[in-house]
Amino acid sequence: MKLSKYPYVVQNEILDHMNYSDLFELSLVSKKIRKLVKSSQMNRLKNTVSVMYDCCYPFGTPLVYIQFKNNNILDCSKLFYFTPYGTRSIIESFHNNFLYFFGNSVEYHWITDNYKLPIPRLENLSMCFRIIIGDTFGDLKNVDNFLSSHPVLKSIDLGYWLKESLSPESESRLYQVEYIKINQLNRTNPAVLRNFQGKQAIIDCYLFEAADLIDFVNRWISGEAYHKLEYLAIYKYREEIPRDEILTAIGARHIDATRKPPAHSVPRAFIEYASRPNTDPIISHSYVVRESDNRVASVLIERDTLSFGVWDKTEEEFLRMVEKLQLAN
Amino acid sequence: MSSTEQGTSSAAPAEPTTAPESAAAPEVPESFYYVHGKDKVVHKVSAGALQHSALIHGMISNLGYTEEQAKANPFPFENIDGDILQMVVDWCNQHKGKPTPPEDTNLPKQKEKLFDLVLAVNYLEIKELLTYCCKQVAMMVKGKSPEEIREIWMIPTDAEDEAAEKEAKKRAGKEAAGETAAAAGDAK
Repeated sequence: MKLSKYPYVVQNEILDHMNYSDLFELSLVSKKIRKLVKSSQMNRLKNTVSVMYDCCYPFGTPLVYIQFKNNNILDCSKLFYFTPYGTRSIIESFHNNFLYFFGNSVEYHWITDNYKLPIPRLENLSMCFRIIIGDTFGDLKNVDNFLSSHPVLKSIDLGYWLKESLSPESESRLYQVEYIKINQLNRTNPAVLRNFQGKQAIIDCYLFEAADLIDFVNRWISGEAYHKLEYLAIYKYREEIPRDEILTAIGARHIDATRKPPAHSVPRAFIEYASRPNTDPIISHSYVVRESDNRVASVLIERDTLSFGVWDKTEEEFLRMVEKLQLAN
Repeated sequence: MSSTEQGTSSAAPAEPTTAPESAAAPEVPESFYYVHGKDKVVHKVSAGALQHSALIHGMISNLGYTEEQAKANPFPFENIDGDILQMVVDWCNQHKGKPTPPEDTNLPKQKEKLFDLVLAVNYLEIKELLTYCCKQVAMMVKGKSPEEIREIWMIPTDAEDEAAEKEAKKRAGKEAAGETAAAAGDAK
């Protein structure tokens, strides 16, 4: 059976019935076939959002999968298992194949929990790192070196139980990551809250002072820090966050209590296995305004959690949106 | 005029007013057409079954054949093997007037037969059957490595493709040169 003997319309129909994994295997057969796959499956392939090289796939074998939009719902599909630190030319050939199909239109993530093995330098590849640093961990310098070794740092999922910082705070690459999820069980102030320069942060902390939160919000208001911040949620294990004290200290403004506040939610900067594509909605009557550009951030304090969501709107635009929401209801 | 070989209508109910509306309507006698493949064996197929084929359905609509004319002029499909046409006719008969199921497990398992069936079905424009066939062809490479896929679908390597391309260019060059020489000869 020669595939090439079929008319294009039939080849197209056959390829339409193949899953992503088989299509990618097929595309590795020859250059001509790769061209056919690209032209025939363009409509399907253009919905791809990211290519994930997951070296810590929960069920053992490292896996390459893609995430794509299916009728506006995020979905994912396994492509193949792989050997992350095997022959470099094989990984390069996979990656070049992805670049041929997607170019710069998707994100390429390398997910690892092993700071001792370097990440291959591949075009457009970003690093996603997860690690649990226990209270007896003694190799911080190498972790920090590892974080500095790759040009693009996308996400860090960190369990951090040491008292000392990873490196001189303001210098660590850790704080430049786009998305961070940190679980910090010691009693020191959360360094991430002070130094974060990325877009989204989720911080679970054993204990911290109200003054730390007040300082964070005030530095955002003054424009001193957190210029790229879109979303931050901080959970305090030990006790409730003093809501009124903080709202007063940060000079929060409030939407009329009879009005329904808008829900702030943005696409997550880092998504795995197509789960929870957006940040948890923040629905709050309280907000603050950045002095430099009049930009609004919703502030929600509920028992042990402070959520902070930055809008792409000035105060005027934000209040107009509240009015519209009122009229719509 | 249409064929009446399959009977025309059932008995009318005694009380038409109490009968269901569909039973009261007179049944239209079914028309039949004739097709043959490479082996010249003629198959009689109802218009209902042939509706699956957009190509034949279009031909029927345009021709307006009577039963006798249809019998005398079977549609010739010289590019389709007799056994393949038989499969197509059987499938059309089986699925006449019925919604097509999501899967069809009665397709040929042999690669070459399936290959010919796909070509025939594509030519006859039988959309549902083409979908089933293409699905089956796609399933042949499910979970296979690139080398296995190459073998199953007889895909040339890059080197083979390049060699074939060179050969085609060479041939085209020769033909062009021949034409030029012939034109020059004519001019003389």
